[in-house]
Amino acid sequence: MNTVMREKQWTKKYPDLATGPVPAEPCVSEEHFAAERDRIFRRTWINVGRVEDVPNRGDYFVREIAICGVSVLVVRGSDGIVRAFHNVCSHRGKTLVLDRNGSCPGTVRCHFHNWAYSDRGQLIHVPDEENFFDLDRRQHGLAPIVADVWEGFIFIHLGATPTQTLREYLGGVADQLDGCPFQEMKRRWTYSVEVRANWKLVQDGQNEAYHFPFQHRRILDGSFVTNNKGHNRYQNVNLHNYHSVWSCEYRPSQKLTPLRMVLAANARDTPRFHVSQMIGKMDHYVVFPNFVILLVQIGRSTTYVTYNLWPLAVDRTVWEIRMHFTEPTSLREQLRQEYFKCVSMDVLQEDTVAHENVHLGLASRAKSHRILQDDEIAIRFFAKTVEDFVGFYRHD
Amino acid sequence: MTEPRTVARGNGGDFERALPEQFADLEPFLDWAVEPEAARTARKVKASMGEVRAFYAAMMPRLGEVLDYLEQYFGDEMPAPARRLHLLSLSLVGVATLVEIYKQREVVAACDPLRFVPH
Repeated sequence: MNTVMREKQWTKKYPDLATGPVPAEPCVSEEHFAAERDRIFRRTWINVGRVEDVPNRGDYFVREIAICGVSVLVVRGSDGIVRAFHNVCSHRGKTLVLDRNGSCPGTVRCHFHNWAYSDRGQLIHVPDEENFFDLDRRQHGLAPIVADVWEGFIFIHLGATPTQTLREYLGGVADQLDGCPFQEMKRRWTYSVEVRANWKLVQDGQNEAYHFPFQHRRILDGSFVTNNKGHNRYQNVNLHNYHSVWSCEYRPSQKLTPLRMVLAANARDTPRFHVSQMIGKMDHYVVFPNFVILLVQIGRSTTYVTYNLWPLAVDRTVWEIRMHFTEPTSLREQLRQEYFKCVSMDVLQEDTVAHENVHLGLASRAKSHRILQDDEIAIRFFAKTVEDFVGFYRHD
Repeated sequence: MTEPRTVARGNGGDFERALPEQFADLEPFLDWAVEPEAARTARKVKASMGEVRAFYAAMMPRLGEVLDYLEQYFGDEMPAPARRLHLLSLSLVGVATLVEIYKQREVVAACDPLRFVPH
């Protein structure tokens, strides 16, 4: 599929979306942030990790959903099933597991009074049980959290009864990516950075390619197909329910440097690993609200990057970045992956400054609105989805 | 913190080189042969542009040869001298954009790389 250089094509594809300025207040308002807690983060499916994070029975990890004040314990049970629980002891409510991840073959114990739970969440041991009053252990297992797995991605739902299954919620994203071989890209690096910006501004800052030739003019120089004025155009844009995807096309040949030439030396010997579910050369999915899957074809191989945006406060976000590669078949391929990682980190360091400066600008209330062009349609759609959930401007 | 250029292996003056014999000329740059990744990032952050350029200038012309040499160990445990050489190649990849793209010590208009915490 070749990129069409037409102007204003995506708004024609989605004529129901408005074209006017988009309010800035939801990105900097304490009141909006407080409303997001119940209206977004307790009403949507939230990605917390991958099945590779808990490869063996008894393996667990903990995720803090700070905006909801909830600590989630994800455990693969001795029956192989991945479950999520509130990371809270039933006895007097202490945080149960204190480390970020680990393995608890058989039992999880609370350090406070040594209450013990099975890896399926059942309360199995209470020291000095005889001294309690009518204690029925069967009634006091760990508090469960709804969890489900799609293509190896573990999602939780903090609402008591989700109105949609995970598959229904993912809708068009799952239709496109069902069967995508994510599990074959399990060589992984994880980073996190605390950004002094609203989580939606971090999401928006990554959710367009308009800035590539400017913000990243050095590091991404000549990497993507542009029109004759040097502006990026998408290969395609799809808006699904709450989620979006846009795709970009690379130029056939990258700008060469001495390092790139050495690394490319045996590139033709590496096995081809192309993902048939891809739309373009780089597909950027926003899975509402705070998850991103970025699939990138690099030469003969494919990699994917995920972002999880964890809101801490209206102006503070933990941005978690994971880069996933296939097992390399040569040292040069391993170094090509390393180079992809280093270049990506340069890009993300530039982005971090932009996110923080956008937050500062909007928080000053100098401007009440943001102005968006056709190739920023995914940002407009995201803002609309946020408003559909939060109803900040709705009077009913 | 610089590593010794030669590592004592026994008595009687029997020494193992810090790097494989044919790459002995890279030994002045052994303080780039550090791990894990956070240590390489820290090394990069504290380096002057002169240091980065000198390391790049020494290492880049040899990189093809270095990778051909290391390929024999791919997927296996590397002997210590090869391992140090491998760490040098990872450090080179980490600083290459400063020399080849940015032409200055820091990524332009970017945050401190040490804010990105590897897990």
